[in-house]
Amino acid sequence: MTIRPEDIAAFADGELSGDREAEIAAAVAADPALAEQVERHKAMKTMLGAHYAPVLDQPVPDRLASMLAKPEDAEVVDFAAARQTRESRKRLPHWGWVAGPALAASLALAVFLPGQGVESSAYADAQLAAVLDDRLVADQSQTDDVRVLLSFRNDEGRYCRAFSAQTGGGIACNTEDGWRLEAIGAGGEGAATEYRMAGAGDAQILALAQEMASGPALDAAAEKEAQEQGWR
Amino acid sequence: MLALLPRLRRFAIGLCGNASDGDDLCQMTLERALANRSRWEEGTRLDSWMYRIMRNIWIDEGRKVTRSMQTFVAEDAGLGVGGDGAQEAAVELGNVDRAMQKLPEDQREAVLLVMVEGYAYKEAAEIVGCPVGTLNSRLVRGRDALMAILGEAS
Repeated sequence: MTIRPEDIAAFADGELSGDREAEIAAAVAADPALAEQVERHKAMKTMLGAHYAPVLDQPVPDRLASMLAKPEDAEVVDFAAARQTRESRKRLPHWGWVAGPALAASLALAVFLPGQGVESSAYADAQLAAVLDDRLVADQSQTDDVRVLLSFRNDEGRYCRAFSAQTGGGIACNTEDGWRLEAIGAGGEGAATEYRMAGAGDAQILALAQEMASGPALDAAAEKEAQEQGWR
Repeated sequence: MLALLPRLRRFAIGLCGNASDGDDLCQMTLERALANRSRWEEGTRLDSWMYRIMRNIWIDEGRKVTRSMQTFVAEDAGLGVGGDGAQEAAVELGNVDRAMQKLPEDQREAVLLVMVEGYAYKEAAEIVGCPVGTLNSRLVRGRDALMAILGEAS
């Protein structure tokens, strides 16, 4: 089997699946040189991500923001969820960029609070818990089935993580008994379009996360540290 | 769209290598997107659509202007993202900006879309308008070139 640099990059970016992924994974495990290539690819990704990240925190120049502040802006997102989207946009001054893809979503999504739709004793199942335990926002792929949107601490000082999944996302907070589901969103019809409808309900979930959070979302370094300490 | 602005700026600054050209590109992108808003199809991703607009303007403008300005690019690039002089890391940031500007356009956009913006290969390929395999190899060539340039510098 020949392994091209393209295969290594695709593997490192989480682009492979099935037999091909298993094949490359085995080759990488058996060959330290290949493993180093995977690491170098990931390190480059981390470095570039960190290099450009400050742009997201810079205030958008007025001349750009004002272009969207004109009255006709209301028509720009002219679809069923327009009102909803505008509301969540107002409520997401800091985390708006995370919710960006949600602007494209025309799905309605319900977020249930405990007592409404979710048993108050509901906890993440093993699969979800594994993702919440291990996955860092910085090193996940757009194609992952479950994506962590962000992490924060709630009023009790517990670590919580907002996540997005094809079948609906939610928010889970770490407790002694595991990841307790604080909110669960249900996906709507048409969730399986050609594009992954990432963020069908991300805006609502993020809005709720913002209400629950006692401070800003964790940055990459703080998230990594929290993960290393088991989210306690 | 407002919520997308910071990400669009990041992509624009990455493509152009400095904030002022990046913001100009952003402005042109917003103008074109607002003028063509009826052509955005509901149910498709707004972010991909806008990245595609931005990328096409950048390519068009590049053909018109940048070719004749090529000799100035290397100097200008030093005034890049982090180059406000006040930051400790300004020198290092400048290196990355300069290295990015040395990449051919097709490799630079591939690297930015996948490694910075976090798009899947398929999504990035649709934004750029090329096959996934082509996107994959541009990404690898761009990455290798970056490693080589940054490796020399350090």
